[in-house]
Amino acid sequence: MAPAKPGDAAFANVDHVNAELFTLTYGAMVRQLLTDFEDVEEVNKQLDTMGYNIGIRLIDDFLSKANVTRCSEFRETADVIAKIGFKMFLGVTATVSNWNADFTECSLVLDDNPLVDFVELPETCQGLYYCNVLCGVIRGALEMVSMRTEVKWARDMLRGDDAYELRLKLIEHVAEEYPYKDDD
Amino acid sequence: MRCLYIFNRNGMCLHYHVWLRSLMTLSPQQDQKLMFGMLFSLNSFTAKIDPVSSGKENNPPCSFYSFRTNTYKLHFMETASGIKIILLTDPRIGDLREALMHIYSNIYVEYVVKNPLYSPGQPFRCELFNMALDHYVKTLQ
Amino acid sequence: MRAGSREVAESCLDGITMEMVATYCDRLHSSKPDLAARRIEAIGFQVGQQLAERYTRDRPRFTDHLEVIKFICKDFWAEVFKKQIDNLKTNHRGVFVLQDTRFRWLTRISVDSPLTPSEANNTTLAAAQAGGKYLYFPCGLIRGALTNLGVPCAVSAEIAALPACSFIIRIKV
Repeated sequence: MAPAKPGDAAFANVDHVNAELFTLTYGAMVRQLLTDFEDVEEVNKQLDTMGYNIGIRLIDDFLSKANVTRCSEFRETADVIAKIGFKMFLGVTATVSNWNADFTECSLVLDDNPLVDFVELPETCQGLYYCNVLCGVIRGALEMVSMRTEVKWARDMLRGDDAYELRLKLIEHVAEEYPYKDDD
Repeated sequence: MRCLYIFNRNGMCLHYHVWLRSLMTLSPQQDQKLMFGMLFSLNSFTAKIDPVSSGKENNPPCSFYSFRTNTYKLHFMETASGIKIILLTDPRIGDLREALMHIYSNIYVEYVVKNPLYSPGQPFRCELFNMALDHYVKTLQ
Repeated sequence: MRAGSREVAESCLDGITMEMVATYCDRLHSSKPDLAARRIEAIGFQVGQQLAERYTRDRPRFTDHLEVIKFICKDFWAEVFKKQIDNLKTNHRGVFVLQDTRFRWLTRISVDSPLTPSEANNTTLAAAQAGGKYLYFPCGLIRGALTNLGVPCAVSAEIAALPACSFIIRIKV
């Protein structure tokens, strides 16, 4: 039976692992980082950096399998991330909402979040954005398709909010420029 | 097959592979720079001359995918992430768009992008990529 | 959706394990490779303990060490690395060698091909060294799983030629 949505097709198109193995590995790594740094802000930063490094590779994995040939417009790209990107890698989707007037900022509300299965945070990690790796991944991937962005958590259920909401802000489109000087 | 080039979005030649090239008038660096410059100009030319769509709105800008001279044919693809793959072949070879896509998806992504030892944005010559590419190119001939 | 039946793309796990190595070995402790190795092994250990707990929930208790080792070679390996161990050896005095001829997490590791014949001799060695960093985590996984199942041990790994490798388990008495 042919999958109905492009996201489903993309998810069917890649190799899978049991989510448990992934979720436990991510959780153990965050705990180790918390032990090593003792500073929650620093852990947030490390997770974001790791995500960025993952994102700049993941973009080609995504483009090669998702049958997306061009992401030139931010509005359309946000939809692609929500419906195909999240689905292809994490098996869930997100909803795009809360656009600002000039369509440079929006929210991605996750319909479900496999990263937090089995997670309970101890009192001592107040201020931790447990899923901060996702911000980095999106920022890194978008940078590779010429969009400089800022990605932050707006709501986080592990911090007592009622949803997982990422806020995306387009800073600039980086046009491709001729990289050589004429006389060298 | 004559040779293959892979460029990234910044115009860096990540990979240059020669199977058959009897004439070499330029240094590899000059050759690569000239190739990238030509692609850059030709891409902006094809978009500017386009009589059908403006390249704005939802339509991606148009681009070329091959051209032919009396002695060779150049095949070209570019991804949204700015990876450009170029194959030079015998002029009689047919459409290779699928082959270029295969090289990107099944060889470049699998053996370069997913190689933990590869630093993104840097030139590469990893063995698994070379082997897979050679193997695949043989099937095209 | 029920936890346990859920799946994510393998690229997600690959990305995390790759960045774990980059973070600890290259960014945090680049001058102290042993410390980086211990930290990554500790992460693997936690995960191995939790996985063993989950994978053995519905089965009878193991009767001896060999039975546990066989469980690791078959069921545990299949769950985590999608195949079974190819060869198991033991000296019958508490040392077990698990050989995997195509260890999944090494299959995409590839060093630059040599430019000159003299370089060719070094590439095999370079590949083995570079690959070694990616085995700290699985060593921890195995030690964690075995410890959880009542087999305290030390685990080390060797790469002869990518993507084959061996894990050496020394049971503590």
